[in-house]
Amino acid sequence: MAVQNKARKTAVSAVFYVIYVAVAIVFIAPLVFLFVSSFKEETQLVSDMATLRAFIPYGNMTLDNYVQVFEKLDFLHYFRNSALNTVIQVFFGMFINAMMGYALGMLDFKGKNLLVSLMIALTIIPTEAVIINRFMVTFNLGLINTIWALAIPNLATPMYVFLFYQHYRGMPKELLEAAVIDGEGYTGIFFKIMTPLSKPIYATVAIMSFIRAWGDLLWPTLVTRDNTWRTLPQALRGLNDSVYTFWGQIFAFSAMITLPILIIFLIFQKQFVQSVAATGVKG
Amino acid sequence: MSEATLRRTAKRRSSKLARSQARAAWGLSAPALIIMFVFMILPFFMAIFYSFTDRKLVVSAKKPTAFVAWDNYIKLFTNKTAKQAFFNTFEYTIILVPAVLVLATLLALLINRKAKGVTFFRMIYFSPQVVTMTVVTVIWGFFFSSTTDGLFNSILSFFGLPTQRWLQDANLAMPAIAIMSIWQCLGMQMIIVLGGLQYIPEELYEACTIDGANSWQQLIYLTIPQLKNTLVYVFISNTIYSLKMFTQVYMLTQGGPNHSTTTLVYLMYEEGFTNNRVGYTSAIAVVFFLMVLVISLIQNKVTGGDD
Repeated sequence: MAVQNKARKTAVSAVFYVIYVAVAIVFIAPLVFLFVSSFKEETQLVSDMATLRAFIPYGNMTLDNYVQVFEKLDFLHYFRNSALNTVIQVFFGMFINAMMGYALGMLDFKGKNLLVSLMIALTIIPTEAVIINRFMVTFNLGLINTIWALAIPNLATPMYVFLFYQHYRGMPKELLEAAVIDGEGYTGIFFKIMTPLSKPIYATVAIMSFIRAWGDLLWPTLVTRDNTWRTLPQALRGLNDSVYTFWGQIFAFSAMITLPILIIFLIFQKQFVQSVAATGVKG
Repeated sequence: MSEATLRRTAKRRSSKLARSQARAAWGLSAPALIIMFVFMILPFFMAIFYSFTDRKLVVSAKKPTAFVAWDNYIKLFTNKTAKQAFFNTFEYTIILVPAVLVLATLLALLINRKAKGVTFFRMIYFSPQVVTMTVVTVIWGFFFSSTTDGLFNSILSFFGLPTQRWLQDANLAMPAIAIMSIWQCLGMQMIIVLGGLQYIPEELYEACTIDGANSWQQLIYLTIPQLKNTLVYVFISNTIYSLKMFTQVYMLTQGGPNHSTTTLVYLMYEEGFTNNRVGYTSAIAVVFFLMVLVISLIQNKVTGGDD
């Protein structure tokens, strides 16, 4: 009986693993395809398209596609633009939203409840809905075609303020009171005491805004006029849109956009998963 | 010192604290508030205002902006392309949302076991989420190649089915984009459902087992009801996410063929930037906002607004 039970358990477990692997293949295959194809010659890439060979690294694997991408366009220039834009949005955005979340969650002041309601109301306005008028404001401020047009409008996000607010509201008030008695100012408390204690929520918001900033296409398309501040997704679209499509180059370029974020994901995967769980709700 | 003086000093000190607290709070909130005011609240009211005018992106000196009352809204609900855009957005949503809801729940139930390697598989399932949408469209655009030796067409031929033109077929373009988008977001939605699953107390399952419920009954009478708020959240957030769809269309089809993939946001982009019509675009924006508002209100109603 016990032996039978054990055998049954092993069988069930095996079935589960088969399903896990099958599902994993569906999710990972397109990425494997991307990286494998980026090393293949154009003719082989296209002739492999119809079969499973498309997912297998074989034949004449070269770096030619990468070399050609670098010859054709200034990859590092777009990379710099994307990186700068992302770093500004992630770093400053994190603090700007956290500061307000802390003020709403831990401090007492007149108008606080009104501001909390305002934040909740603002989470409902999709950026996309106001995008044309946001563009007009940005234009009138004379920011078009600058790094500021890319980054500044995205620095404050009601959703992130709300996440920080929920986090700080749950922090013990005694921490605040003790620091006040020690003669620390409320702003100092935020930077010196509260921020070091809140790393997980910072990681959550940083990851969410990183993914958004790195991949955004609509807003950069609107506010850039020439290549000065165009970002990687925009450059990829240009490459994809040209008269002669060189798939090898497109995949090489795509692989180079994907690699940085994939590496960061592999390093911080635990935080990524937690960050998503944090956006959900209980029950 | 008398007691009264002591009390007065204490009071003065606490009101001084309250004042410095208020100052710090407003100071800390100021950067976020200013940016939100300039880049969200102001554009929002501009959208409402311009939606009643024939405002152009570039105003010509000869033809100043005029008040047109409800004209833009009337046009929005009678114009063929606009109607098409509503329909397309709806079509995309109705394919994506139920599929994501069911598949994410299924995957979460599957992976919610304490077994070796489960975290590894979770990571694999999540990984498409970190791939930039532009890259996703490049890969899948290649898979959806309309030639007979495209990947998906080869699969169809393998099973003896006729090949398709996918993104160049007005009937298939939107479903194809939806399938691609489901692939990208599913892992993340799975993690959200998984988070909900882990909040269900273990004792409830034990009680169920004692009562002699089988796994199917457990799922229907315990797991799903307990997951209600999470599932409503997944449903609503994916609906709103679908209504905002833009990048996929911009990269792959530019609204075509025959306007079959023109979504609301793509229409806004086209009308506002290509056709210069800010008034009309603002009307679309207002209607778009109202749709999202109604959906959010429904969510609050259903989940009891306790989150």
